[in-house]
Amino acid sequence: MAQINRQGEQVYVRVSRAERKALLQILERLEPLIDDSQWARPRAYQEEEEEREFQRLVGTDLAESRAADLAQVREALESDQRILLSSDSAMAWLRALNLVRLALAERIGISADGWEEQFTMQEHRRPPLATLHLLSWVQEGLVEALSAS
Amino acid sequence: MSVTNELVVKETGARQKDSVRRDRPWQVVVWNDPVTLMSYVVFVLRRLFGYDLATATQLMLQVHNEGKAVVATEPRERAEVDVAQLHAHGLQATLARD
Repeated sequence: MAQINRQGEQVYVRVSRAERKALLQILERLEPLIDDSQWARPRAYQEEEEEREFQRLVGTDLAESRAADLAQVREALESDQRILLSSDSAMAWLRALNLVRLALAERIGISADGWEEQFTMQEHRRPPLATLHLLSWVQEGLVEALSAS
Repeated sequence: MSVTNELVVKETGARQKDSVRRDRPWQVVVWNDPVTLMSYVVFVLRRLFGYDLATATQLMLQVHNEGKAVVATEPRERAEVDVAQLHAHGLQATLARD
């Protein structure tokens, strides 16, 4: 199983070849879902005019930064090198994994808290829920590693 | 006090109230979703707002239990930047007048 540790200023994501392949396949399948996800275009204001103005003046191009974050994850997984992430790269991984999880959960039909109890143990162990848990596990590992002083 | 003076006082008061309304701080509100990890929300709140672990955890739990939490109250321009940052980190956030 993959291990994620802090190494000095960097975060070491130790993954086997099979785990790299599995994560890449997950990203490949789920990335197209993100742009259509209800979470992909958050609003700052309810009012249309204020929202337009916010997007014009302050809003960042979320689709562009999303693509850049996902590309960083893909490139690291595709390389044969040890995955040593700077703090900024680890943040890119975190943001990317968060959106992938949101998009996957939406596809599964998760829409309210308490969803964990609505599925059987067997369902939790099989895709797509097992995929969601794997992504959670990596994300948790990154948060822990980045939070370690 | 003369009527004129009363009017001046009233007008000044109204102007001050109007000014206070315009300058009144705005709230940055973070909304719950069923999937985002609690640890990630705490981490983002600490990173963006500089909260200590206890404060960030308390705010995260408020988001989780009550559906939303005010994570900052500040001038509108600053609040908009913070909402944009929260969006960039995948959290649902809006602005509201204090």
